[in-house]
Amino acid sequence: MVTTTSRTRPAAGAGRPLSPGSIVQSALVALFVVFMVVFILGPLLWLGVRAFAGTWTFPNLLPDDWTLRWWQVVISDHALGVAVQNSLFFAPLTVLVSAIICLPAAYAFARFDFPGRRFFLISLFATNAFPKMGLFVTLAALFYALNLMNSVLGILVVHVLGTVVFMTWIPAAAFSAVPRNLEEAARDAGASKLRVFASVTLPMALPGIIVAAVMSFLASFDEAQGTYLVGAPDFMTMPTQMYSLVLNYPTQVAAVFSILLAIPSVALMLAAHKHILGGQLAEGFQIK
Amino acid sequence: MTIHEPLTEQPASTTGPGAEAGGGLNIRGLHKILGGRTIIDNLDLAVNEGELVSLLGPSGCGKTTTLRMIAGFLEPDSGSIEVEGQEVSHLGAENRPSAMVFQNYALWPHMTVARNIGFPLKLRKMSKVEIKDRVEAVLELVSLLHHKDSKPARISGGEQQRVALARALVQEPKLLLLDEPLSNLDAKLRVKVREDIRKIQQELGITTVIVTHDQEEAMSMSDRIAVMNAGRIEQYSTPAALYARPETEFVATFIGSMNRVEGSLNNGLITAGPDILGIRPEDVILHDVPFDGAIPATVERVVPRGHFQEVYLHRPDARLRSFVTGEFMEPGQQTFAEIRKAMTFRDGRLVAEAGAAR
Amino acid sequence: MLAFGFSIGLTGGLNHTIATIAQNVHEADAWWGTLAAYQEMFTNKRFLGDLVVTVIVTLVSTLTVLFLALGIGLYLKLKGGRMARLLSGLAIVPLFIPVVIASWAILTFYSGTGFLRSAFALFGLDFPVWAFTMVTVIIGSVWTSLPFAVLMISSGLQSVPKAMIEAARDAGAGSLRTIVSVIVPMAAVPIIIATTFTAIGIVGSFTVPYFTGPNSPNMLGVDMSNYFSSFNQPQQSAVMAFTVFLIASGIAALYVWANFRSAKEQGKA
Ligand SMILES: Nc1ncnc2c1ncn2[C@@H]1O[C@H](COP(=O)(O)OP(=O)(O)OP(=O)(O)O)[C@@H](O)[C@H]1O
Ligand SMILES: [Mg+2]
Repeated sequence: MVTTTSRTRPAAGAGRPLSPGSIVQSALVALFVVFMVVFILGPLLWLGVRAFAGTWTFPNLLPDDWTLRWWQVVISDHALGVAVQNSLFFAPLTVLVSAIICLPAAYAFARFDFPGRRFFLISLFATNAFPKMGLFVTLAALFYALNLMNSVLGILVVHVLGTVVFMTWIPAAAFSAVPRNLEEAARDAGASKLRVFASVTLPMALPGIIVAAVMSFLASFDEAQGTYLVGAPDFMTMPTQMYSLVLNYPTQVAAVFSILLAIPSVALMLAAHKHILGGQLAEGFQIK
Repeated sequence: MTIHEPLTEQPASTTGPGAEAGGGLNIRGLHKILGGRTIIDNLDLAVNEGELVSLLGPSGCGKTTTLRMIAGFLEPDSGSIEVEGQEVSHLGAENRPSAMVFQNYALWPHMTVARNIGFPLKLRKMSKVEIKDRVEAVLELVSLLHHKDSKPARISGGEQQRVALARALVQEPKLLLLDEPLSNLDAKLRVKVREDIRKIQQELGITTVIVTHDQEEAMSMSDRIAVMNAGRIEQYSTPAALYARPETEFVATFIGSMNRVEGSLNNGLITAGPDILGIRPEDVILHDVPFDGAIPATVERVVPRGHFQEVYLHRPDARLRSFVTGEFMEPGQQTFAEIRKAMTFRDGRLVAEAGAAR
Repeated sequence: MLAFGFSIGLTGGLNHTIATIAQNVHEADAWWGTLAAYQEMFTNKRFLGDLVVTVIVTLVSTLTVLFLALGIGLYLKLKGGRMARLLSGLAIVPLFIPVVIASWAILTFYSGTGFLRSAFALFGLDFPVWAFTMVTVIIGSVWTSLPFAVLMISSGLQSVPKAMIEAARDAGAGSLRTIVSVIVPMAAVPIIIATTFTAIGIVGSFTVPYFTGPNSPNMLGVDMSNYFSSFNQPQQSAVMAFTVFLIASGIAALYVWANFRSAKEQGKA
């Protein structure tokens, strides 16, 4: 069908002239992006380069010479190796213990409306609102009395405490997002309660649980203040070792160690980033 | 036998005042490609001032897309849109003289009913007193004054619908656009609200375009209906003309119910042929006794439809459906079926309309 | 609870152990305890300085985070596209980095021989040394808090239905007006949650101010640990903890209220 097209306009986007306003706008956005790149990535790159730097004269933007010497130092240092081992021991254990304690609670929060439910959720939040340092100070006092200072159990308690919020809230939101009628349909099809949980509820809530586990792992892996207070100097983990590294070693060694410390976090985050960006994390922080 | 050939020109009876372009809405050569597919294909539509026109068509035919281009939420690839003689296609939605009622009402949940309605006026920098007066006037019009201070979540679906309408009306738009405004209401309420909308629209004389896929709704409210199919308008005429004289086979099947039979009608008998016959069930008349032009038939199935029955018939020349009022029919019953009227389609277009000689 | 008891001078029971090894403990002279430790701290110049610094850092950092997160979230919602995704992706990066490393990296970046000073020096300009000042503490706090706020706020903004925004535009609202009157109020709950969590995280933070801040005055989280370990005055440390807790509770009340409000609105819907 051919009709007069005298009034037709050029295709949108292709022929639209750029107004001065939109040019200014794009320029501002570009400027903001540059600012964010420097602000966010700058410090990381600056530190990363340091791990391979020999000497570095101010104010050059790059080191004078490159070396792998610092990696040698870190790898051959026994104390640092132990710290890596400790970190890799405590983090998974924390996730496991935390999951065993918190997941049933999360399910209860999501599915049963028991009296005081909101109160529990809010007091969980209150623990989170209490300054970590204050909490650890209190814990330390308690641990002295209970002889838990410098013990695996003591450190584990500190680490698990730091993960409770993640392990309860995020899975709770994930559980309650599973439509009840899907569970009912499975019941209707003859599945037992346990079976329904295992083959409908759990798989559907899994992304939330994964995010919770990743966040917990990182919280534990990242935990320094409490571990230092309760475990040092017998139990040094990677982050607590960072504290003394920064003071007692050349900057480059700390830089190398930082990269090592960041590897598991980055790997885990990359693995779970789809769910985290997908809103599982944000969803978990709204008490329903 | 009467034959109109060809049947192309518009029925002249549908035009209101200001039939020429200038008043109302005038769309020419509208074209839109989305996701690599042509969604709207060179669409023309002229709506007279004060007229209510429905865009009717099956799901996915491009009704919402068209309406969103009129409202300014979607930029056409080409084509022009004029409202009261003013070209608007370069304007953003906020600067167009049209107001829209959204399918799910889109009432802002954090504002009361009065503030929802007053918001457009506030943007026009009206004084508080004037806003209050106008809001109350329009709430009166939709009889919701008592819900002035309620939040949208607290009122019923039908009431929300009327608030959305009030929010559009308060802007005194030159063009009112409604996207499936009744689809969330139950059957009874739908009838009531559509009558309300029609009444208010006629009182205020606003040019209105309404999108729907409910043909009954379109038939009962509209001055004219544009039947859309695959991004084009198949037919644009009054409800009565649409039903009585569908220009295409698609329109005939889409509007109302139809027996579709291959062949042609000769002296009340269907004979084999290349054309398609469209016979409305109400044009299949049943007689208890032999009748001129009626042919013996057997009742195969009866479906009660409330105030009438849908009767499935087996005639020697074809299977037909008929709408019957009056006494109850039984499967197996013998009867005489007469085809009083049939439409003939060739290549999907209407070529002939035949009434049995009587 | 135990810590609170200790801070008001109840030294019996489990608190006994710590009381005996600690120095400068105020013991209760009445059944309900004593406020002597609080009195001591609230007249202590160092503590008051810390308190002021803590409040200022929290306020400035939280507002900055809110501003950045809203900017990114709104840009993502209204414009979208590659640039917007790049921005939000960047803002999420700190979530991947342990805080210890982040603090250390930020310290070196803004230090006397850091990037900014080097870059400016190349042009013969003298950029101030920000390391070990409150400026780096604020920068570090913003850096570490940004991902959560961005995730929370973008997800809140994304859940504002498109039709609501279109309805506002249809009513004649420009971009700014649509943001102020429709988008932000409709995403109020997640925005408030993001703000409160950010503020609570910062007010009680330790690692960032410990690494990047000055010796004194510094944030309460740092001095709390000083009082506990270095000065061996756990009671005073507990007082500080409760002060931070009180501030945090004030902020937390806002969070609870926001959640309550959203629950109420949903209940009505
Ligand atoms: N953004 C888009 N990208 C790609 N295709 C689109 C887009 N928007 C709509 N479409 C397609 O355009 C066609 C017409 O859509 P439209 O929403 O206009 O249909 P409709 O007539 O309103 O249907 P319904 O009655 O179901 O609402 C559909 O096939 C749809 O899939
Ligand atoms: Mg539609």
